[in-house]
Order: sequence, then structure tokens, then C-alpha cells
Amino acid sequence: MAGLTRTAGAFAVTPHKISVCILLQIYAPSAQMSLPFPFSSVSQHNRLGLYLLSLTKACDDIYEPKLEELINQLREVGEDMDAWLTDHLTNRFSSLSSPDDLLNFFSDMRGILGSLDSGAVQDDQIILDPNSNLGMFVRRCILAFNLLSFEGVCHLFSSIEVYCKEAHASSAQFEASNSNLESLTQYDQMDMENYALDKETEEMELSRNASGSVPFHLHTPEALFKATEEQMKHADLLVTRREKSRASKEKTEATSFACASSSTFEDTLVDESLFLRTNLQIQGFLMEQADAIEIHGSSCSSSSIESFLQQLQSLAPELHRVHFLRYLNKLHSEDYFAALDNLLRYFDYSAGTEGFDLVPPSTGCSMYGRYEIALLCLGMMHFRFGHPNLALEVLTEAVRVSQQLSNDTCLAYTLAAMSNLLSEMGIASTTSVLGSSYSPVTSTASSLSVQQRVYILLKESLRRADSLKLRRLVASNHLAMAKFELMHVQRPLLSFGPKASVRHKTCPVSVCKEIRLGAHLISDFSSESSTMTVDGSLSSVWLRDLQKPWGQPVFSQDSGSRKNSTFFQFCDHLVSIPGSVSQLIGASYLLRATSWELYGSAPMARMNTLVYATLFGDSSSSSDAELAYLKLIQHLALYKGYKDAFAALKIAEEKFVTVSKSKILLLKLQLLHEHALHRGNLKLAQRMCNELGGLASTAMGVDMELKVEASLREARTLLAAKQYSQAANVAHSLFCTCHKYNMQIEKASVLLLLAEIHKKSGNAVLGLPYALASISFCQSFNLDLLKASATLTLAELWLGLGSNHSKRALDLLHGAFPMILGHGGLELRARAYIFEANCYLSDPSFSVSTDSETVLDSLRQASDELQALEYHELAAEALYLMAMVYDKLGQIEEREEASAMFKKHLIALENPLEMEPNIV
Amino acid sequence: MVSKESCRIEIRAAIRQLSDRCLYSAAKWAGEQLVGIEQDPSNFTPSNTRFQRGSSSIRRRFSTSESISTPQPTVGFSQAASPLPEEDEVIDGDLYLLAKSYFDCREYRRASHVLRDQMSKKSIFLRCYALYLAGEKRKEEEMIELEGPLGKSDAINRELVSLERELSALKRTGAIDSFGLYLYGVVLKEKGNETLARATLVESVNSYPWNWSAWTELQSLCTSIEILNGLNLSNHWMKDFFLGNAYQELRMHTESLAKYDYLQGIFSFSNYIQAQTAKAQYSLREFDQVEIMFEELLRNDPYRVEDMDLYSNVLYAKEACAALSYLAHKVFLTDKYRPESCCIIGNYYSLKGQHEKAVMYFRRALKLNKKYLSAWTLMGHEYVEMKNTPAAIDAYRRAVDINPCDYRAWYGLGQAYEMMGMPFYALHYFRKSIFFLPNDSRLWIAMAKCYQTEQLYMLEEAIKCYKRAVSCTDTEGIALNQLAKLHQKLGRNEEAAFYFEKDLERMDAEGLEGPNMFEALVFLATHFKTHKKFEEAEVYCTRLLDYSGPEKEKAKSLLRGIRMAQTGFPSMDMEHFPL
Repeated sequence: MAGLTRTAGAFAVTPHKISVCILLQIYAPSAQMSLPFPFSSVSQHNRLGLYLLSLTKACDDIYEPKLEELINQLREVGEDMDAWLTDHLTNRFSSLSSPDDLLNFFSDMRGILGSLDSGAVQDDQIILDPNSNLGMFVRRCILAFNLLSFEGVCHLFSSIEVYCKEAHASSAQFEASNSNLESLTQYDQMDMENYALDKETEEMELSRNASGSVPFHLHTPEALFKATEEQMKHADLLVTRREKSRASKEKTEATSFACASSSTFEDTLVDESLFLRTNLQIQGFLMEQADAIEIHGSSCSSSSIESFLQQLQSLAPELHRVHFLRYLNKLHSEDYFAALDNLLRYFDYSAGTEGFDLVPPSTGCSMYGRYEIALLCLGMMHFRFGHPNLALEVLTEAVRVSQQLSNDTCLAYTLAAMSNLLSEMGIASTTSVLGSSYSPVTSTASSLSVQQRVYILLKESLRRADSLKLRRLVASNHLAMAKFELMHVQRPLLSFGPKASVRHKTCPVSVCKEIRLGAHLISDFSSESSTMTVDGSLSSVWLRDLQKPWGQPVFSQDSGSRKNSTFFQFCDHLVSIPGSVSQLIGASYLLRATSWELYGSAPMARMNTLVYATLFGDSSSSSDAELAYLKLIQHLALYKGYKDAFAALKIAEEKFVTVSKSKILLLKLQLLHEHALHRGNLKLAQRMCNELGGLASTAMGVDMELKVEASLREARTLLAAKQYSQAANVAHSLFCTCHKYNMQIEKASVLLLLAEIHKKSGNAVLGLPYALASISFCQSFNLDLLKASATLTLAELWLGLGSNHSKRALDLLHGAFPMILGHGGLELRARAYIFEANCYLSDPSFSVSTDSETVLDSLRQASDELQALEYHELAAEALYLMAMVYDKLGQIEEREEASAMFKKHLIALENPLEMEPNIV
Repeated sequence: MVSKESCRIEIRAAIRQLSDRCLYSAAKWAGEQLVGIEQDPSNFTPSNTRFQRGSSSIRRRFSTSESISTPQPTVGFSQAASPLPEEDEVIDGDLYLLAKSYFDCREYRRASHVLRDQMSKKSIFLRCYALYLAGEKRKEEEMIELEGPLGKSDAINRELVSLERELSALKRTGAIDSFGLYLYGVVLKEKGNETLARATLVESVNSYPWNWSAWTELQSLCTSIEILNGLNLSNHWMKDFFLGNAYQELRMHTESLAKYDYLQGIFSFSNYIQAQTAKAQYSLREFDQVEIMFEELLRNDPYRVEDMDLYSNVLYAKEACAALSYLAHKVFLTDKYRPESCCIIGNYYSLKGQHEKAVMYFRRALKLNKKYLSAWTLMGHEYVEMKNTPAAIDAYRRAVDINPCDYRAWYGLGQAYEMMGMPFYALHYFRKSIFFLPNDSRLWIAMAKCYQTEQLYMLEEAIKCYKRAVSCTDTEGIALNQLAKLHQKLGRNEEAAFYFEKDLERMDAEGLEGPNMFEALVFLATHFKTHKKFEEAEVYCTRLLDYSGPEKEKAKSLLRGIRMAQTGFPSMDMEHFPL
């Protein structure tokens, strides 16, 4: 018996559905005429039909518009007959004065349906085909009503009363605030409200004095505020809607509906009995909310979601997904304890069997639950909160449990999560944690280095995902693999004997291949879209892109680059690609950008990032979006100077609320450090450097990349302070660390730094081997840009050995010039120009007087670029050389100008001004 | 110390006032306390006259119906001793009488309608109270009507808003008595405004302390000791009852026992106090004492159902099948649709090993009261027995969500996860449970076992837990043995010997024997022998000789080895050969 009512609950009659029914009655009256009464033309009639079609489609959405909103929509659809329509609607409602009227209403509804076997339908008769969309809707309504018990009818009746009353209450205000002619009355009303407010506050103060605490019942002012806000919102919506209807006439119905449904997000405090929808709808809705939490990250207000969830929970206590959503929300607002609590609660209640699409329902063994998924989620949570060891412990347990229960799907995901953890954070004491587990996958790896373990885990995960046809996991594993190939040097895994020639190298082709394989996901998906859709999300797909007008202003107001995202949105609607898929595709673009960055093609990197930001910005998670911003800002700093970069950073900072360890904070410190170094403000540089180091975890082996970067920067700071031996010490120990943790790519840049240190300290002979080693590293790892800059250093070192080597140095430089000019940043280019000039000048066969322009042109170019960079030291050098050349040429005026500039830069270098306080 | 006589007078008057306002459960409670006061044999009066003494003089002058029969000469005395507020209306209006009878017939809306124009404080209270109850009744009905696929919807009492508006207005004008304040407090609490509700209830109990319902509402709002201490309560003996109860809910059992001890001086025959004391003792795990107390309680009050579920828990723990079945039968006959009765029957079936039936009865108890904490936990235990872990976890989690301090349910959750081979996940729950009850060795041992599982094998942590268990006086003696074994496993023989000796001492003191003892003796004998402490080694060996079995042989060979070593034979360690 309970089962019967439950299945019936899948489609409940609500007041909104009754109003749709009333409209349907108008659309297709049972009377026999070609054009029913109020319609003046067939097209008008069809417009209502289209509108009703979209309404019935949207009935599966979680929110239903209020009567008032429905009337507003009717105003646009109905054009000249809107008054008649709304009148009819409200009259029909007011004529429902007892439950018996409802009963009669629904038996009348039967009349507008044609009989199922009707062969003889007259041409001029409008009859709903019972199998059409509208007909099905009517039939479902009638059926649902017939299934209602008398109590249910009573509840429906009382909710209709509320539905109408709300509309009455607000329509008066609505009229007043919307008509410009009556602005005076509106003004009066405002006054009234103010007065009421004053009175309320007075009272509040009074009673506060009396009882010592704020009385509970005085929330009326808030309600008033809310009412006024509501009016404003409606006004806004109306405007946008007008614009839209002008733009695309045929889409009016749909868009206007979107506006209506969007506004309901704010006032979720609708009547409770109306609110409760079917399981499917709520699940789908919660999925959307989860996406929203991920996209907006910490910038979306967690408290509003929280209150909404609370409400939902009290209405549907058995809906456990709410706890998961609350967990997500807490996760993004960085509340560890609440997140943990909610995660555990969710899995305690649901046993992991509810809602996870990664578990095919057929294999779900209900007896034991799916608690391994709980472990997986817990592990990922610890990972996110930065507890790598705890996370690894939990994930190891997840591996074990999923092996025991032979849940291969979960195992594949867990292995992927593990490899992700290892590659992103590393672990402290590798043997103690992994060695303790007896799981075959991890224990074979106990003697291997972290990277090798990552590789094995990835391979295992990929294999399983492939055989289980988990497309998304396959794609993300391919991407992870590409990342791995990009960053880590491959070596034969198990042949460590002396015979195995250890040839370190990376292979761009395989990176490319992995990325390509990852991107196959989208083609897989579009060919068989039905299998990938998740429960419930389809029911709201119809309106998803229509809701965008609400989401859009929040997200895109600060980035002009997202202007043209409407195109993709449109596609989104047509194919309805789930957010997770487009996220993965987006991630592949980001990875492409990263790989180009490493291989040294700045334009390609920038292009890919831009592609990401424009096409995938809407569906991306906040951390990915952060990464994209970071890349673009870094590009700006390198190629346009700091001014632009800091301006962009400011925008990014507003967008992403800076939390403890965010990428934006990291970027800021990096930028400040570079800037301080260039301006010669070494104290500040040192401070930034220390702060950067402070961001890393103190545990050994964790956050290695951050640590390496911090000490690299420290060495550079020391170098700038001319403390060569200390700088060399730091660089040496850094090299050892890199070697210990198998970080090959970092080694190349450390070697270059060592060469640089020796060059600066005037010890060119010592520097040469380092530079050569760095070049050979770069060659085998395909780091072209780094190689070019190492070549430049090598050339500088040769010149340092004496002017008789200037020819060789010039040859080296010219070999690297295309790369440097094509892809190098401002600093590198300027250095190359200056060096070229230096070479010419020190070449005894070169005469300044005959060939001055070659030198001067390069120097001018260099000094311009350095000015943008505010790199005083190099700029001074360039200007000094310029002045010397002018002096030789006898051009006094130009010489004076150059020397004045030179002096300015020197003074700036010696008195490093404090950084603008608003940036620090 | 308050005099018994004055208490008696106060309570008598209070019972009349409370039942006049249809606050029946408070009146019931007061009545129990009234007969709980020790009777002074010298001025023992027949029951019908006892009731008159409490009534005030004015009331008697105007009284209409019942209390006129026997005027008593103690007018002056009663006036002086009774600090009761004078009633604001002397004659119950006819309408009030009608309303009260409607109320007694549970026709709440009708009762409130009758009183719609009455302006006396008493009428206002009864009208509001009837309205509130009508709303509650409708709420219960709606909850069932609106039950959706995702569980019961949280229907609300629709009268709350109007009641709150009216009562707050009354409070502002001061036209509200302490009963009205009590109702206002209840309404505020339902609406979720806890601070104001607390303040209102405090005001109510300060002006009229005899309303036990108000005290219990207040107690349910005191979720921490800070809140409790922050209350501004005026002194009255009712406050001691309140504090005793509140301390108990905050798991401060010794403080609560002290309060009840004090109260027992006045209310020496109060069943309530006895039951509360038994509850506190139960939490302190004094099962024998609790059993005696409950037996006495049942003798005095054989049809009592309240708190009897606790008694059944005690009987369950003592595995007294017959007594438990007797109790179950008795409560079943008294009132089978009380959650307590169902719980007792469930306990009985559980003890008999019929877990499906036990679950059925716990389910019934929960149907009667969805927030019945111990039924959720007990049902969780049953599901664990039935190896249905997901259901067990669900049940435990519900208990925890009703009261997050329920250490049994946290422990159950940990146990369930450990059963499923997720010891690391389980640790979190054990930690939670220990947080709420840090002095229980069983919890520490459970956590230690979790650390000890082969999946985790975190022996150092396990040792720490066992140490804590030992310091909490582990009655079952698992911890010492395990500590010794763990140390032995880790090769720390000194520590191992220390704990084996301790364990041996404990077993000697309790007169226990068994494999643990053999193990300890063998280890100690070999240990001391390898450290050349032959005398100690001999002592342990000779003790071993008292027992038969392989240990005896082992002891013999050990002794032989010792003798040889003592006589100076250098080589041939006999005992190193396999026997």
C-alpha cells in the first residue's frame, strides 16, 4: 500500500499544474470551433500552444513559478488578450471554493482529451491527442488527482488558497512599483515603509532594554526589505526579458520562463507542501547545485546554500544526498570538521549506494553497502585539506576494501586518486605507509621512488578503467599520464642492473598522444550520449541553459574574455554535455598550455589557455579557472611587464577569494619576488622568498615542487646580493635535493643557475661545464626555451674568457636567437640584445664608427624592454653601452641623454623604493 | 533544610493549581513527590482533609463546590508557610468549567473556542494551551498525511505563529502569569528561538517553581554546563530536582547523585528520586545496586512503566532471562503500546538470541517515539548480531544524530566499520566515543584492538590505548595481558615482564586461572632465567608445576636448565632443544 502511494508521488498535482490545466482548457476547449473564443488569429493560438508546451516540459523542474510569475509571462505571450487570459485564470481559481469543485474541475478536464480510438475527428475541432505531450500531461494530472486520498485533496485545496493569496498580496505592490505614472504613490509607500521601520526599531530598542535580548518576533523589517528587494528584482528581470524578446522573437517563451525560474532560487521559502518534488527531480537539482558549488568555489556564499539545505533536509529527512552536498559546501568553505562530519554522516546513512553514478546499479550488492566509496571520498577530502599521509592511509584502506569486495570500479578510481595524491603532494615517509599494506598493487611498489609508483598506479587505474569502460576516468587518466610524461623522466622500470643504459629523456610525442587520447572522450560521448547521463539531470536539462542568464552575471562580470561564450552554451543545450565531460576537455587544454610552456612555446601556451578560458570557463571548477588565470598573468608579467600583470592580478584576486594555500597567493608572491629582484629591492625579495617557502608543508618529501622553487628563488636573491659562495651553496644543495627526489627537469634549471652564479662571480671556466650540462639536460628533455637561455649563458661565459672568444660567442648567440626572439620573455630578449652589442664592441675587428647602427639598434631595443620590466641593473648596463657608443661617435647630445637615463636607473637601483603598499 | 511540612503544603496547593490548568503531567509528578515525603505520624490526617490544608483562605471563602466540607483550624499556619501566589480569579467561570471538561475529553479546539472572550489570566492560558495542543495533534496527523517518498515531511504546528504573537503581546503588557510564560517558552522553543525560550522559562519557574513541566523544558534547553551555570535561578527546593536531572543529562553523575542524596532527606519515599538515582548508578555501571533499587521500586509501584527499560538493560547485562521475561510480561499487561514496553520485550528476545523478533519490537518502539534514543542504539546492536552492517550503521547514526553525546552509538559505529574490514575508518568513531566517555576501559580496549588489526598494525598506538585502559581500571583484565604480549612482540622483554607480573598479580587477586596465567608464568620463568635471576625463575617454575599439561613439562625442563646453570654446567641449554 505504501508502495502504491510512493510511485504515485512521482507526479503530484500542484496549484501550478492546475493553472497549466486551466490554460490548456482555454487552448483546447471541448467546444467545436476552428478558433476558440479569445484568439484573434491562428498564430496567436499557436503561440499559446508553444508556451504551454514549454510549460509542461518544465513541470519536471524542481521549482514551479508562482501565480504572479505565470501571469507576468502570460502578459508577454498573450499580447492583446493578456487581460482576458489572466482574468480567466484568476476567476477560475476563485471559483474553486470547495474540494468538490476540484473534483468537478478534473472531470471536466477529461473532456478536452480526444478518445484514444477516435478515427472520426472533424477538421475544425481542436482536440488534444491523448498521446501528445500536452495530452500526456493532462492525463498524468488527472491520474495523479484520482489517486489522491481525501486528505490529499484537502491539502491541495489549501495550497491553492496560499498560491492565490500570494499572488494577490504581491500583485498590488507589483503594479505600484512598475508603472512609472504612479511614482508618487510609490514614493508614499516607501515613506510608509520607512515609518514602519522606524517604529519597529524603536520598539525593538524598547524591548531590548526590557528583556536584555533581541526579541524574536520582530522580524517584520526584514520582510519589508525583502519585499522591496523583490520588486527591484522583478523590475530588472522585466528589462532583461524585454531585451531578449526583441532579440529573438521565437524564443520568447522559453527565455521568459527562465527568468521566472531563476528568481525562485532566492526565495526558496515557498509553501512546503508545494516544494516537495519527486526523488528524481531533487536528485537532479542537487547535482546542479553540486556543480555550482564546484564552479564558484569559495566565492559562492556558503551560508545561503547551507540554509537552503537545512530547509530541504527538514522537508525530506530521508534524502541523504543533502548531507553530501553540505559536505561539498563545507569543503569549499574550508571547514574541516563540518566537512568530515557531513561526509561520514552521508555514508552512514546511504551506505554509498545512493546516487553515485560510478556504481552500476546491477552490480550493487545491497547487503554489504558500498563503504569503500566512503573511504575514497574521505581520502580525497584529506588530500584537499592537505593531509597527505592521512589521505594515503585512507586510500590504502579503500584499495584493500574494494579488492575484498571486488569493486573494480572503485578500485580504478582509488588508484587514480592515489596517483594524483602522490604526484601533486608527494608523501613523507614512503616506506612506512605503503609498506604496511599488503595489497599487491602498492606493495610491489614499496621499493620504488614516488614517481615510479605514480606511474604504476596510473597504469593500473587506466587498465581497469579501460576494461570497465569508465570513459571519464580513462580520459582523466590519460591526462594524468600526459602530465606524468611531461614532468618526469622515463626510465626502464624494473631493469636497474648496470647493463641497462640509463638514458634520461622525455618524449613529447607520447605526451601529445596521451592528451589526444584524453580528448577522445568528447567524441565518445557525443556518439552515445544516453548512457552517460546521470539520474535526474536530464529532467532539468531542458531549462539548464535557460537558467544561464541568472548564473552569467555573477560569473562573467569581471572577465571580458568570456563574452563570446554564448556559442558554446548553445551547443551545450543541443548536445547537453555534462559538466564533468567538458571539464575534462577543458583540463586537456590547460595541460596543453602547460606542456607548451615547458617546451618553450609561449604563443602556443597562451593560445591554449585562452581557448580554455573562453570555452570552458563556465563549466570549469574554480581551481582550474584559477590555474588559467595564473597562466595568463604569468604570461603578462613575462611579456608585457609588471604593471599589466599586477593589474590583472588584482582582478583575479577579487574573483578568487584568497584562501590559505591558493595558487593566486603563490603567483602573487612570485610576481612580487621577481619585481623586487629586478628593482634591486633585495630585502623585499628575501621576504617574499621566505614567505613562499613558508607555504610548503614542513613534512619531508611533501610539496617538493614548492620547496624547490623557494630555494631556487633564494639562490637567485643571494646572487643578486652578490653573495656568490652562499648562492652556490644553496644551489648545490638544491641540486642534491632534486636528484634525491628524482626531479630531472628542475635539475636543468638549477644547473643553469649554477653557471649563472659562476659567470657573475667572474669564474667563467668553472661556469662552462655547468652551462654545458644544463644544455644537454635541456636537449634530452626537450626544453627548448631553457636551452636557448642556457646557450646565451654559455656564450656569455665564453666572452668572459676573453675578447678573443667573441666570435665563437656571437655564433652561439645567433644560433639561439630565433628561439629567444620568438618565444623569450622581455628579460631574456634584452639580455640577448645587450650581449650581442657587447660581443660586437669587444670584437677588435668591429669598428663602431662604420657600423654603429647594428649596436645601437639592439641597445635601444634592450633598454626599451627593460624599462617596461623595471630591471634597473640591466637597463643601466644597456644605457651605459649606448652612452659609450655615442661618445665614440661624437654625438654629445644623445650621449648626455643616455647617461642621464643611466644615472636615473643607477639611483633607482641604489635606493630601492618601497613597493606600492596596496600590492604588498 | 526546608521543612517537610512546608513542602507538603506547597505541593498540595500546587497540585490543585496545576490540574486546574490541565497541566496533568506536572500535577502527576508533584503528586508523586507529595506522597514521597515522609509522613509525620503525629499529625497524620486522613487523606480527604489533607487536601484542604493547602487551599488559601480566600479561596475557601469563595469556594463553590468541592472544598467546603471540612473547615480546618490551620488557617494562620497555612498562610504563613505557603508562599504561593494568590489566584487572580476566585471563581472559575462557568465557561471555564465547560472548557475544562472539553479539554479533559481532548476536544481542544472546542475548549479554546469556549474561552474565546474570557480575559482572565487563567482562561487565557487554558485557551492558548488548548490551541497549542490542537495544533500538535493536527501536526501529528499531517506528518502521516504528507509522508513523501523521501520520508516524513516536517509538518509544523500551525498555531505556533498566532500563539507566539499573542503571548508576546501579553508578555509585553505584563498580562501574563507564570503558566502563560511556560507556554510561551514552549512555543519559542518549538520555533527555534532557544535563548529567548530559556529566558522565558527561567522567568516562569522563578515566579512559580512547582511546575515540573517547565523545569523539564528548561532542562532540555541546557545542552552544556556553561548554559546551565549561566541560568539565573532563584533558590527553591524544586531547583535541586532540576539540577539533579540536568546534571544527569550532562553526564555529571556524581554531582547528580549528590543532589538526589540531599533531596532524599525530605522526599525519602519518592519513587522518582529512587528511579533517578538508579539511572545515575546505571551510568556508573553499578548493576547490582541498580537491580536492587529497581526491585524495590517495582514492589512499591508495580504498574510503573517509566524507566523500566533501564531495568531491563540491567537484567540483560546480568543475563537474567527469567527476571527479564517476568518484567516483560508485566509491562506488556500494563500497557503494551508504550515505547518502554516494546523496548523491554526487544531486550528479552535479544537475550534469547531471536534477533529478528527483537528488531521488530525495537521498530515498534521507534514507531511510537521516533526520537527514542536507546531503541535506535539497541536496534543497531541487533543488526550487528544479524550481520546486517549497513542497517546497523544506519540505526546507530540515527541515534547519534538525535543525541551526539551517545557514546554507545559511536562505539557501535566503530565496531560495525571494523567488522567490515575498515579499521582506519572505524578509528574516527572510536575516537568520538572515547571523547564522550574517556574513563571507560572497554572503549580504549576496542580502539587498541582496532590499531592492532593486521591491516593497520600500528602497535605503538595500540600500546598507548591499552595503557589508558589500564589507568581506567580495566575490570576484564584484557589490557594488561595485551600490553605484555605487545611488548613481547616488539622485543621489549623488560616491559613485557613488568606487565606480565602485573597481570599475574591481578589474576591472583581475583583468583583466576587459565591460559593467560600459563602464558605469563612461562614467559616470566624464561625471562628471569635468561637474565640469570634464578630465584625468581624458580618461583614461577614451581608455580607452573601445580598445573598439568604441556606447561608442566616445559616447567620441568626449565627447572632442569636452571639447576644446571646454577651448578656451573656451562653448556647444553636443554630447553633450547625442541621437546
